[in-house]
Amino acid sequence: MKYLTEYRDAGIARSLIDRIKRTATRPWTLMEVCGGQTHTIVRQGLDELLEGAIEMIHGPGCPVCVTPLEQIDKALTLAARPDVIFTSFGDMLRVPGSDCDLQQVRARGGNVRVVYSPLDALDLARRNPDREVVFFAVGFETTAPANAMAVWRARELGVKNFSVLVSHVTVPPAISAIMESPDNRVQGFLAAGHVCAVMGWTEYELLAAKYRVPIVVTGFEPLDILEGMLMAVEQLEKRTHVVENQYVRSVRREGTPAARLRVEEVFELADRKWRGIGEIPMSGLKLRAEFSEYDAESKFGLGDIRVSEPVECHAGEVLTGKLKPPRCPAFGTRCTPERPLGALMVSAEGACAAYYHLAKYRDEPAETRAAS
Amino acid sequence: MCLGIPGKVVELRDDCGFLMGTVDFGGVRREVCLAYVQSDIQVGDFVVVHVGFAISRVDEAEARRTFEVLREMSQLDELEWMEEPAAASLDAMSPQPQAGAAP
Repeated sequence: MKYLTEYRDAGIARSLIDRIKRTATRPWTLMEVCGGQTHTIVRQGLDELLEGAIEMIHGPGCPVCVTPLEQIDKALTLAARPDVIFTSFGDMLRVPGSDCDLQQVRARGGNVRVVYSPLDALDLARRNPDREVVFFAVGFETTAPANAMAVWRARELGVKNFSVLVSHVTVPPAISAIMESPDNRVQGFLAAGHVCAVMGWTEYELLAAKYRVPIVVTGFEPLDILEGMLMAVEQLEKRTHVVENQYVRSVRREGTPAARLRVEEVFELADRKWRGIGEIPMSGLKLRAEFSEYDAESKFGLGDIRVSEPVECHAGEVLTGKLKPPRCPAFGTRCTPERPLGALMVSAEGACAAYYHLAKYRDEPAETRAAS
Repeated sequence: MCLGIPGKVVELRDDCGFLMGTVDFGGVRREVCLAYVQSDIQVGDFVVVHVGFAISRVDEAEARRTFEVLREMSQLDELEWMEEPAAASLDAMSPQPQAGAAP
């Protein structure tokens, strides 16, 4: 692949790290929004290499992690119905609900299928006209165009036995919520490159101006992330606060207009609860009224449900940067990817799982971590 | 699910007015919906794919340009590193203490 492996060049990475350290006259606190970036940062140890120059707070951009427990429980209810084929992206299967997860529902006989694309779920509905096929439509602005298109196509093709359980969230309201939090420490953002590939960055220009915070649209390879960090640090040193685009090869200011349009045609903004964080006003997407027949919640009469998170899970503090995963008392002991207490330990994009999988490369053994 | 992967478009296909295609991800080929990028896509182009949908075209010229900028920056740094030890040894030879050295 051209210009993919190049963005992993160790020599250039070392040079960028050195440049960031020389540029920073004091330690700066940045947040990478996206779980994909968290994965690269922790895996490559970029946070450790930049100690003293940059502290990275890992943001809430992991859809598996922030899908609220209520929606997981609704998914579990639907998946257990004998008339339903419940379809989902694979990484949602092990997210703990109140009592169990989708994998356990499947083991008990529920018809739960992993799909790569929501169009695969639609195909399944067309091939099984006597069953109800429900797709778990979760994610950020990156999966919204795909999920919107599946609903659009279902209507176009007249497929009646297809519906979606929607739990979509969007990034800009989360940035506002972080900046308005009284104990916020974030001084600059690496915005998620692929979210901006869809949406562009005009919304971020308003945020950068309002909160006087630099925002750098950043890619996912190690050199992308290091260049994004350098651009943010240079802005902080110069006291500027504008949106810059590091990820020029894939992101245009206007995003991908056709994708934005389809998302707007199918979805509208709604209040949404984020797991571990709480409700953020107008931070989610719901189906527009004209697509209500594809809304699994109304189709199957799923009302409001009450839930409670396990008290031992500190996901909220991790998501807001107050606690590093290895400092959680349950990390690696009572909470592991095999038996996760919370959603952050499930997906590779989750901060807890990212630290857990790389713990063997880290200097702190699990025992010390658990004891500290 | 949220990891976008760049791949090369190897085939375009019209599926009842819906642009689909085959995208090669370093040897692994998958069916991808290209409807969102159809206005500027050709066989041979690179696209970023999320959950079966191309959400953006990868601009190869920009990919090359960003990389060249980073590489030149790195080469420049290497030259500075080579000069630094030389400067340091000159300082060591100098009988006068250096006040207010550059950060």
